[in-house]
Amino acid sequence: MNNRLTRNTIFMTILTFALAGVFAMQAQALDGTEILSQVDRNLQPESYEMYRKLINVEPDGSKKEFVLYSVKKGQDKMVALFLSPASEKGRSTLRLNDNMWLYIPNVGKPIRITSLQSVVGGVFNNSDILRLDYSAEYDVNGITDEGETYLLDLKAKTNAIAYDRLSMKVDKKTIVPTTIECYAASGMLIKTLYYKEPKDFGDGLVRPSVLETDSPLYKGYKSVMIYAKINKKELADEIFSLNYLSRVDELR
Amino acid sequence: MSRTYYNGILLCFLAGFMLATSPCSAQDEFTFDLEEFEKKNLEWGGYAEFKWEHMDINQGSAFSLLNFMDEPRSTFDRYKGTLQIDGSYSYGKTTFNWILQASGQQDDIGWYDTADVFEAYASLRPSPLLTASIGKKSYKWGKGYAWNPVGFLNRLKDPNNPEEALEGYITAELDLIKSFSGSLQTVALTVVALPVWDDVNDDFGEVNNVNLAAKLYFLYKDTDIDLIMYTGNSRSRRYGLDFSKNLATNFEIHGELSYTPDQRSILLDSDGTVSLQEDSALSGLIGIRYLSENDITSIIEYYHNDAGYTETEMDRFYQLIEDGGGQLSGPVIDTLLDKAREISLKGYGRPQPGRNYIYGRFTKKEPFDFLYLTPGLTTIFNLDDESYSISPEVVYTGFTNWELRMRFTSLQGPSFTEYGEKMNSNKLEFRVRYFF
Repeated sequence: MNNRLTRNTIFMTILTFALAGVFAMQAQALDGTEILSQVDRNLQPESYEMYRKLINVEPDGSKKEFVLYSVKKGQDKMVALFLSPASEKGRSTLRLNDNMWLYIPNVGKPIRITSLQSVVGGVFNNSDILRLDYSAEYDVNGITDEGETYLLDLKAKTNAIAYDRLSMKVDKKTIVPTTIECYAASGMLIKTLYYKEPKDFGDGLVRPSVLETDSPLYKGYKSVMIYAKINKKELADEIFSLNYLSRVDELR
Repeated sequence: MSRTYYNGILLCFLAGFMLATSPCSAQDEFTFDLEEFEKKNLEWGGYAEFKWEHMDINQGSAFSLLNFMDEPRSTFDRYKGTLQIDGSYSYGKTTFNWILQASGQQDDIGWYDTADVFEAYASLRPSPLLTASIGKKSYKWGKGYAWNPVGFLNRLKDPNNPEEALEGYITAELDLIKSFSGSLQTVALTVVALPVWDDVNDDFGEVNNVNLAAKLYFLYKDTDIDLIMYTGNSRSRRYGLDFSKNLATNFEIHGELSYTPDQRSILLDSDGTVSLQEDSALSGLIGIRYLSENDITSIIEYYHNDAGYTETEMDRFYQLIEDGGGQLSGPVIDTLLDKAREISLKGYGRPQPGRNYIYGRFTKKEPFDFLYLTPGLTTIFNLDDESYSISPEVVYTGFTNWELRMRFTSLQGPSFTEYGEKMNSNKLEFRVRYFF
């Protein structure tokens, strides 16, 4: 009788611990996913218009600058229009999920491009310039509490995403990223992104205003993105189509 | 004397314009003055360009005889200045767009200048779903990079410079877009009316007709698909289909197929007579764009043109010129060469007049960490007569708003082949372009 009670007690204890472990793991995964969603909302509204300057800095200090106007809607639609320099003015890029196109006014028609290419040269590639929400592209594989920051281990949802894995440090107070390491499927570090200089963009949006990147593949080179204006904006789905690409400037 | 004087002034003006509009100071680090980029009603820009070309003439070739029969030469030099101004003026939901281009050219024979309105049209956008436009507009339908068999309203582009602006046609256009969620993401319909009257689009085809063209676009399962149709009496009716899809993050595939039930073309018969043939033509293109791990972008396309000339048909044309150029004078000879010139303009002399081609373009961005330098290689291979052109080039864009390009083209092929009978055996080209 006593033996039976003891066996039941041991079984219940193991079951309780096992269930507690499962729930704890689920809670941790849920926390990571929630944190990643919060990171997205803290970086940008779901639908917005934005002005950015992109600067490529060469090892000798010389620079090349681009100014872009972008609009984004939901998790999978984004358009960027080049306003400067004159040689790039009027070019626009469209992203719908993993599809990307480039429109060049002289060419007069959109051509498909890939996320790994770069329409501006330097360290930023097309997926950096047309970045969707992190939670739209990545699942949270793990989360580590590092005191003042969380370390999120993110895995690409499909192999069409430019970086297979991200290692994202998130500031606990502001829930915005501070550093993101981007890895290829082979495990090679492709680039590191640094979010800097928090700024109040109005309408309750306080986020880093500078994004820097460097890469072991481009030794000595650096690229910087400066955010100047981010506004919520209601946009029709039809704006994110090939037929509209030549008219993006009319949205401003 | 006075002509040379004015030519000098024009070239000096172009050079001066390029210098006067060049940047004079570097900007401070990491500053962003947004006011500079606020939207204005009037937006404009463009470029000024200077180009020098040197050609070694393929003496004795069919096209050197046609072009230089009276004044044979071994080399040919050309200097050309071009100014393109584009812009738009927006007022509410209406926008007026334009592209204007003027150029002056001095070569070993003489001076030529031209000024054209490439585009000038007004568009009305009552909602993002609907846009109506009227005026002169350029069309670039099709997914191919070098050729577009479904480009029923396109001007013929130069496969060696496929990214240049081209003159449009005067049209009225309606554009409808509708987005969806699910596998079918976008549907768009473009309908174009293109009239051909005296002095209105009269280089498109037969006059006194209003032609219609329509393009129905789908983005379905991440694939771009266009169904295209043209109908009208200025040209024969034609139907087309094209597609484009990314198979991986670094690999894109595209294709075009067109069918013309009654394709008309000028044909030189075996007895030397010229006739107008009418036959069905099925033309197609299949191509890829691939980015390799070492950052080389490759564009490769195969093009079949049913409306092109066979090797035998091209041989007859080359033979006609050889017969015409075989003797130095005489009315019969002049007649033969006149006939050759005439049919050259009507089809035999167009770029890539044959039936089967391979196009390849390979560019390597910033080799050896040399930022903003892009070396490239372009080749066009005639699969029927096995002649080809090959063009290595270097493009440098390191100075803001400047583009420098050096290109050398070699044309290879024996007699009675396309590239063996071109006017020149090679061409060296240097181009400086300043954007403003």
